[in-house]
Amino acid sequence: MTSMMLATEGFGLNLDLFETNILNLAVVIFGLYKFLPGFLGSMLERRRSAILSDLKDAEERLLEAERSLSIAKEELASAEEKASQIRKDCKTRAEAIRLETEKRTVEEMARIKQGAASDLNAEASRVSAQLRREAALLAIDKALATLPGKLDKGAQEKYLSQTIKNMGTD
Amino acid sequence: MGSLPFFLPFAELEVGQHLYWQLGNLRIHGQVFMTSWIVIGALLVFVIAGTKKMERDPRGLQNLLEFLWDYIRDLARTQIGEKVYRDWMPFIGTLFLFIFVSNWGGALVPWRLIHLPSGELGAPTADINTTVALALLVSLSYFYAGLSNKGLRYFEYYVHPTPIMLPFKIVEDFTKPLSLSFRLFGNILADELVVAVLVFLVPLVLPVPVMFLGLFTSAIQALIFATLAAYYIGEAVEEHH
Repeated sequence: MTSMMLATEGFGLNLDLFETNILNLAVVIFGLYKFLPGFLGSMLERRRSAILSDLKDAEERLLEAERSLSIAKEELASAEEKASQIRKDCKTRAEAIRLETEKRTVEEMARIKQGAASDLNAEASRVSAQLRREAALLAIDKALATLPGKLDKGAQEKYLSQTIKNMGTD
Repeated sequence: MGSLPFFLPFAELEVGQHLYWQLGNLRIHGQVFMTSWIVIGALLVFVIAGTKKMERDPRGLQNLLEFLWDYIRDLARTQIGEKVYRDWMPFIGTLFLFIFVSNWGGALVPWRLIHLPSGELGAPTADINTTVALALLVSLSYFYAGLSNKGLRYFEYYVHPTPIMLPFKIVEDFTKPLSLSFRLFGNILADELVVAVLVFLVPLVLPVPVMFLGLFTSAIQALIFATLAAYYIGEAVEEHH
């Protein structure tokens, strides 16, 4: 009571053991101090270990992924090399095929030209031979047609003698 | 009294004694402000100390803070829903931590060692002004959440299943902050009073289980307040079809 009377003046300390309930509070705080760290601490520790194992898992997965990435990169490099090799081969082959084809084409063209020229010559000689034969046939026909009128005894004799004469000069 | 052989002090217990501070026209309850500042300061110290040196391996205070963060996130997510709970997590977390630390601080710190000219120090939440302020903040929050998420369509909520619900929903807007503030205030004040009365009657041993019970209920009250606040916000942003 005395402390109350003194303290009503203003701010102050109240050190009455019972009025301030300090003993019970000490018991409660001590109980919490004993009980809370066990309860909360184990919960927090579980959480921490779960997080740590998650982190470790993630790191392992990262390492694994990096390893497979490097392997894949190597494979990519070798595949690219192979691809460029193939491309180069293709180019040389294409060049060879092109040259070959060109050569063949030129030859073919030359052969065709030659063939055409010889065909032309053959045709021309065939046509001229035919013309000649037809002209000869026409001349023979004409000669046969005019022959009966012109050929009499005298003419034949004259012709014969002339031919015999010619035979001597030949 | 005179017949008693020794002097017995009468138990003296009064509610409604405050340390008034005059601020303009306002008379504010100084003891509530002092304990609130102490609680806010303790929370700030706790949070700043726990987040100053963040490490990958969560230890000690950082681990505890992350645990609390997880807890509040789960609470907000289940009540508000996946879509907007991130916007409201800081508010819900602040409510929960402030109320929780206020309640436990009021119950565990030996405030009565410090004597005030009038009134006494205790949990800030044992004062109706604190809880009404918190509850009104919740009201503002859920209106803001509803209006900012759905615009004027928020008011569909008032006639949602049928227009008959309209008066009830309007009344609800008043009863929500009322019930929130009175529940918290009543519980915390009752805890303090029960302990105080018991201490007068039986100074030792008997108050201890009641004090433990008080710690339990005040933790539950913090959880209830935060959960209901989140639920009201979730109700306001919910899309009904």
